[in-house]
Amino acid sequence: MATLDDELLDLISQEALIDRAKLTREATLSDIGLDSVDVVSVVFAVEEKYEVEIAEDAFKDTANLGQFLDILEAVIEKPKS
Amino acid sequence: MSSTDGAPRRVVVTGLGAICAIGASASETWAAARDGRPGIAPHLFDPGPTGPAAHTTPTALVEGDIVGGLEAALGRRVGASLDLFSVFALKSCHEALDEAGLIGSGLLERAAVVLGHGFAGIHTLEQSYERFYGQKLTKVHPLTVPRVMVSAPVSAVAMEFGIRGPVFAVSSACSSSGHAIAQGAALIVAGGADIAVVGGSEAIATPACLRAWEGLQAMSPTTCRPFSEGRDGMVIGEGGGAMVLETLDNANARGAPILAELCGVGLSSDAFHWTQPSLEGAVSAMSAALDQAGAREAGQILISTHGTGTPLNDKNEAAAIHAVFGHRAKNHPVIATKSAHGHLIGAASAVQGVIGLMALNEGLAPPILNWLGPDAECDLDLVLGEARAIDAEALLLNAFAFGGLNTCLLFRRWT
Repeated sequence: MATLDDELLDLISQEALIDRAKLTREATLSDIGLDSVDVVSVVFAVEEKYEVEIAEDAFKDTANLGQFLDILEAVIEKPKS
Repeated sequence: MSSTDGAPRRVVVTGLGAICAIGASASETWAAARDGRPGIAPHLFDPGPTGPAAHTTPTALVEGDIVGGLEAALGRRVGASLDLFSVFALKSCHEALDEAGLIGSGLLERAAVVLGHGFAGIHTLEQSYERFYGQKLTKVHPLTVPRVMVSAPVSAVAMEFGIRGPVFAVSSACSSSGHAIAQGAALIVAGGADIAVVGGSEAIATPACLRAWEGLQAMSPTTCRPFSEGRDGMVIGEGGGAMVLETLDNANARGAPILAELCGVGLSSDAFHWTQPSLEGAVSAMSAALDQAGAREAGQILISTHGTGTPLNDKNEAAAIHAVFGHRAKNHPVIATKSAHGHLIGAASAVQGVIGLMALNEGLAPPILNWLGPDAECDLDLVLGEARAIDAEALLLNAFAFGGLNTCLLFRRWT
C-alpha cells in the first residue's frame, strides 16, 4: 500500500510535470524545478484531494521537498474537528 | 518588403495539421471526409449536481485520450496548465511543424504564430464558475487565468517550439482562423517573418455554453445538412487546424515539399447584423480573393463553403457564388465538410483549409453529408453521395462569421 509520502510525490509529479524519479525528500525545490506556480497548483490539488485547507504562507521557509511534504502531511493528518 | 530581386514575396504552404471529430491528424481527417464518415452524433451534456437537468444534443466531439496522444507526440507531459482549446492548438501545430520538417531545424527562431479562436477557455471558465457560484467555493484553480487567455494557445505553441518572432491571437467568431491565416501571410509578405504557423482551435462543447448557442435559434436538433432542402441549423464541433506558411524562397532553399500557394486574401465586414449574413459582404470578400489571385476566370475552383446548414447562410452563400461567378457558377464543385466535422467556429477555416488543400492535391472532392434533396435557392454544383474526381486548379475557402466578419482565401495547387 502506498504511503502518504508516495501519494503526495505522485501528485507533485503529475501537477508540476516533474519526473517522479527526481522527487526525493532530500532534493531542494529549486533542484527539481518546483517554482511558485507549481507550488500553488500542487496545493490546490492537495486541498481538493484531501479536503483540507492550507495557509498561503505555509511554505515560506521551506528549503527541501522533505519539509514541503511534512507541512502537507501535518495538515492532511490533523484530526478534523 | 520584397525578396532580394525585388519581386513580391510569395507565400506557400509546407505543413498541415488537424484534429476534430473525424480524425486525430490531417491525414485521418482527410480520409474520413473523403470517405463520407460522419462525426456528428447525439451527446449527453450533464451540468452536475448544482446545475439543471442533463440534456442531449447533436455535436461533433473529439474522441479518445487527446492529452495522452499529445504527450506521446511531444515526448513530455503537458498537464494542468492547458485548457482543451490550447491542447487542440498544440496538437495541430505540432503536426504541421513536424510535417514541414521544422521541429529542431533551428529555423523557428524568427517565425510567427498566429491562431484564431472564437471563444477562449470555456471548459475552464465553466468549471471555475461552477465551483464559485454552484459549490460556493472561493478558490478556483490557480492557473485559471493562463488557461482562459485567448492568447494561451499561441503562447503554448511558442514555448513548446522556441518560436520568438511575432506571436499573437486573433478573433472574429467563425472566421477567426481565416483571419489568422491572412495575418500570418501578411506578416510574411511584409517581411516580418519568413515562416508562420497559422490556424485556430475551439473547444466550446460544455453544458452551459451549448445552451447559449441553442438560444440563438440557429442550432439543428438533428444534424447539419448544408444546401439541402429541410436544413434546420448548425451543429457545434471542436478541434484545431494548422498550416505552416513560408516564403517560396525559404521553402525552396531548404528543399521543403510545397503543398499549395496562398494567392488571394479577401477580407470584409457586413456592418449589418449579428446573425444574418449580407450578400454584399460575402461577394466583396470572395471577389477580393479571386481578383488578387487573378483567378476569376479559372477553369475549375474547388469551393469549400462556409456551408453551416442554417437556412440563411446557405441561401446567402449560394447567391454570393452566383453573383461572383455569373454564368460560370456551376463550373465549380462545392463542398461543405461541416456536415461531417460540425462547425468548429474559430477553427473552422483552418480545419476546412486542411481538408480542402488535401482534396486539391488528391484531385478528389469530399461529399456533402446528410443531404435530403435540392433547394432551388441553393442551385450549385454540390458534391453529393461520394467523393468526386475533380481537376481544380485552386481552392476557395470561405468563412462568414456571426457579426458579419468575412474571410475568403484562394490557394493555388502547386505544380
